[in-house]
Amino acid sequence: MVKQKKISIFNLKNSNIFILTFFLIILYFYFSYNFKIDHTSKAYITNQGDNTVSIVDLETLKKLKTLEVGVAPLGITILQKKKLVFVGNVGTDDISVIDAVNDRLITTIKLGTAPLSLTSNFEETEVYVTDWFKNNVLTVSVDEMRVTSSQNVGITPSGIAYNEKYQYQVITNRDANTLEIYDKDHNLVKKIETGNHPFGVYSEGNFAYVANVYDDSVSIINLVDWSKHEFLVGAHPYNVRVNNKVAYVTNTIDDTITIYDLDSKKTIKTLDTGETPENLDLSIKLNLLVVTNWGSDSISIFDTQNFKHIKEIKTGAQSRSFGDFILQ
Amino acid sequence: MKKIIFTLLAIIFSTSALSHGPTPQKVQESVTIAASPEKTWDALKNYSEFNKIMKVRSFKDKTMKIKYELIKTDVPFSDYNAQIRVKKGANDNESIVQWTARFYRTYKLNPPIPEGQDDATAVAAVNKIVGPGLAGFKKSVESK
Repeated sequence: MVKQKKISIFNLKNSNIFILTFFLIILYFYFSYNFKIDHTSKAYITNQGDNTVSIVDLETLKKLKTLEVGVAPLGITILQKKKLVFVGNVGTDDISVIDAVNDRLITTIKLGTAPLSLTSNFEETEVYVTDWFKNNVLTVSVDEMRVTSSQNVGITPSGIAYNEKYQYQVITNRDANTLEIYDKDHNLVKKIETGNHPFGVYSEGNFAYVANVYDDSVSIINLVDWSKHEFLVGAHPYNVRVNNKVAYVTNTIDDTITIYDLDSKKTIKTLDTGETPENLDLSIKLNLLVVTNWGSDSISIFDTQNFKHIKEIKTGAQSRSFGDFILQ
Repeated sequence: MKKIIFTLLAIIFSTSALSHGPTPQKVQESVTIAASPEKTWDALKNYSEFNKIMKVRSFKDKTMKIKYELIKTDVPFSDYNAQIRVKKGANDNESIVQWTARFYRTYKLNPPIPEGQDDATAVAAVNKIVGPGLAGFKKSVESK
């Protein structure tokens, strides 16, 4: 009897240790998972010349990984809440989907047409893709990971942005010199003239901002009263981003970015980048601006508090990342 | 043998797929010149041969870069922009001249792409300008 009691006490202790260990393991995974989600801001760079995506940690400013995707990756968008990266491959006419937690390719979505640029709705249930050759915007269901509908738009749909406030899709038509605005049911709200050769677009609040490549300018379009005005930048601007009433514009031929104050309507600074800077995105949390350099196969990183260059990092051949490419 | 056939098929497939999208083409070549970067940069600014094919858009002494656009129109490529820059070589009396060109094929619409208007034709034509152009410039600087 005495012996039996001892054994049962021993067993009880043993099971306690098991339970404790089990909880420690759960806690470890819980915190490491949350740590990753809360603290890592990463840039995903599409390298059209070597069919890869470079992933750069924006805290350490070091390259983490290079992933093989489809042929000639160009456009990109990131679902911030779902931690998914959508990369458009114009050579294989498909989309590579990357899980941004583990940085692994999880699926490929066949389109059958060349995806130029991508964006998503606020709920992250749909990704919209401009189809350059057939003048369509495709809707991809994120749950189903397939194209669910296609809508005809104006010619050469190039940049696409999503306006959260009005739930608009905002699209530049490069060869028509227009901007088209569609509502969430894909009805055309407005077609408005831009400058010559509109390409990159950004939209936030009541405005859309369009880079006019051949006019060396950016158009600011009011989405309520449809008034518009322009400001001049460097040679052949490609894309634009806005944060805290400051606009950042890439000047592809000057190898510079223009930093423009939207309140005072003045250029704050013009800074050197790598060669042929094409696209740009901001890490809001880290106060960083990242620019992709097609010519020098790299990215240039700037501090958005003092507008100074921090570092140039080598990525892959012909870095482009047309779209939102930073996981916040 | 199977592997070879597979590789060949893969190459054929990938190049035909590549010519399908709105993709700017890139030609980048460098040449080493036996002259200091300063001397080479001065020579580059005054070199008239390049100006026969391209128009200077801008130049920057600080970074030793010249930006060009194209004058000629009877070429099998379009939207050509280029830069030529001078960099330091292995020693003080050596410099590297790098020419980077960005351009598109002439056919911009839906495939099928007509012969002679594809990416490969455009790249070959630009290669014919860049390679001999740099060689000629090297000769001109080093003979002075």
